[in-house]
Amino acid sequence: MQRIFQMDGEETDCWLGHDGSRFVLNTPTGAVACQLDPTGLPGGYKLRAKGVVRELRLAVGPEATFVHMDGRTYEVGRVDPAERLAGSDGGASDDRLVAPMPGVVVSVAVKPGDAVEEGQPLLVIESMKLETTLTAPRDGVVAEMPFAEGDSFGLKDILAQLAPEEE
Amino acid sequence: MTISKLLVANRGEIAARVLRTAKARGLATAVLRHVAEQEGPAHLIADEVVMIDGPTPVAAYLDIPQIVEAAKGIGADAVHPGYGFLSENAGFVAALEKAGVTFVGPTSEVIDLMGDKVRARAFVEERGFPVAPSAIEDDDPASFVERARAVGYPLLIKPSAGGGGKGMRVVREDSTLETEIETARREGERYFGDGRLFVERYIERPRHIEVQVMGDGQGNVVHFWERECSIQRRFQKIIEETPSPALTPEQRDEICETAAGIARAVKYRGAGTVEFIYAQDGAFYFLEMNTRLQVEHPVTEMVTGFDLVAEQLRVAAGDGLSAVQADIPQTGHSIELRICAEDATADFRPAIGNILLLDEPQGEGIRVDSGILDGGKVTTDFDPMLSKLIVHGPDRAQAIARARSAVQSYVILGVTTNTGYLDAILAHPDFASGDVSTGFLAEQSETLTAPGEDVSDLLMAAAALSDERLVSDVMQIPEMYRKMGGWRN
Repeated sequence: MQRIFQMDGEETDCWLGHDGSRFVLNTPTGAVACQLDPTGLPGGYKLRAKGVVRELRLAVGPEATFVHMDGRTYEVGRVDPAERLAGSDGGASDDRLVAPMPGVVVSVAVKPGDAVEEGQPLLVIESMKLETTLTAPRDGVVAEMPFAEGDSFGLKDILAQLAPEEE
Repeated sequence: MTISKLLVANRGEIAARVLRTAKARGLATAVLRHVAEQEGPAHLIADEVVMIDGPTPVAAYLDIPQIVEAAKGIGADAVHPGYGFLSENAGFVAALEKAGVTFVGPTSEVIDLMGDKVRARAFVEERGFPVAPSAIEDDDPASFVERARAVGYPLLIKPSAGGGGKGMRVVREDSTLETEIETARREGERYFGDGRLFVERYIERPRHIEVQVMGDGQGNVVHFWERECSIQRRFQKIIEETPSPALTPEQRDEICETAAGIARAVKYRGAGTVEFIYAQDGAFYFLEMNTRLQVEHPVTEMVTGFDLVAEQLRVAAGDGLSAVQADIPQTGHSIELRICAEDATADFRPAIGNILLLDEPQGEGIRVDSGILDGGKVTTDFDPMLSKLIVHGPDRAQAIARARSAVQSYVILGVTTNTGYLDAILAHPDFASGDVSTGFLAEQSETLTAPGEDVSDLLMAAAALSDERLVSDVMQIPEMYRKMGGWRN
């Protein structure tokens, strides 16, 4: 799964995967095996990564994650690539998911007529070696899923369409 | 007169702090709250909360008729103004007097005198207290240049109507004096519509040292020692301490006695602060007197053991001072850090946000005067100061160590604060040696905002693994694809 993180105005593309026993975060500078376990404190966690254990306090806001670690506080902005692309397609973006780049459909989770909730996964795509789960931009009913598993699609193709919202 | 019910005409941390002492003294208490204001600690402490309204939240706290009505409406017999807002407003004092409500503070005449910087300076100078050598054009415009020359160099030209540093010019050589005066006059006319000027001796690398005084209104005045407040950003203090690392014991006695003498000269009533400019050569000059409790008063309480709000309430009730000078110690060292919602790396731009997690430090020698609650919202309606962290230690080095450890453990998540910046100041070798001036933060801004160790990988890992949707999405992908994930083959 892809995420873009923002720190001090700089964006970093990351990929979170799981190798069967642990999470691995792929960053532009390498792969980091990591594990996050709660402690007893509010928002308290132990982060195991890069061979060290760090105690931290953490709070997840709507757009950013705030981390207090080793006496300093950091803000990490989170961008969901799918949301970013969905949101960049003007007025109808609320109704449809548009392909961010050419790629292949890995799996399809819903079919036309299904009721979906905001954030519910609709399909998984792979583009430029990145897998991305595309989720419903709002509550609604699926109108159209133009592509099936294994299909290729082009840039800006519509990958999922929701029925228009009733007023 | 006795005081049985106190209205605190303020908000945030200072309202909470005043209310705690008032309650401990057995008073009934009330505090103001603007209709659009978040609930804060003060609202939980006060017996009663009076809602106020206005075009803006700040305007409501400056609305004299509304606040006097509020005091009368709830039967308060005294009002504590805190700092800021109406605390130095002679009209407010007069309105309360007319309504038969006691103002916890000095008389309106003293507020008026000290509020007029030129009159206050003249008053202090006439009584033989030190002021920076100066010349005021209005005194005799024909001889202004001659009198300015006599002040000596370097000197500072200021527009009489000025403020905020606009139109000020430093002159170091006599040859440029007259042209600089003409330039300053044009700037004064442009910025303030008023070209009148005055000059004063320019103090290089000054320190800001102030003295806490308390008077009974009958001419009895004691001081509670000095505070060093040279760590300022945008002309506002953010770290204060006592004792000042700059003063010898003799200088300390001299500056504190000078302050008490100025307060005695006006038969000062209540708590006040006399501010001085302190030059590198040890000379000090009267700057102004603040006729209220200061933001930084807790450091004084930490080293003296006195509750200054309790003293204010005693004096307001006519019970006089609780101590004579010899009873007031200065024990150990105390430092205050102002925790502000602002971005120190972006010219101290105020920050907003929701407080998602709050865990304030506690322990021996640690005091937090906080104006925020977990889950609260930080807006730009008010000053960006959220709380004050005050520490006490046996000596300055131990106080600094305690302050660093406390500020590092201060958890405020959800809004950008200056805790890391404050820690960087405390860690600076010049702060440790005490070799600072009011220009310190500006001179050292690059060092103080330098990025620390690069821990971005760890932060991104924490952000990724705490993103429930991301983690759940990853785990929902068929295992084969999960393992294949990633863009590096």
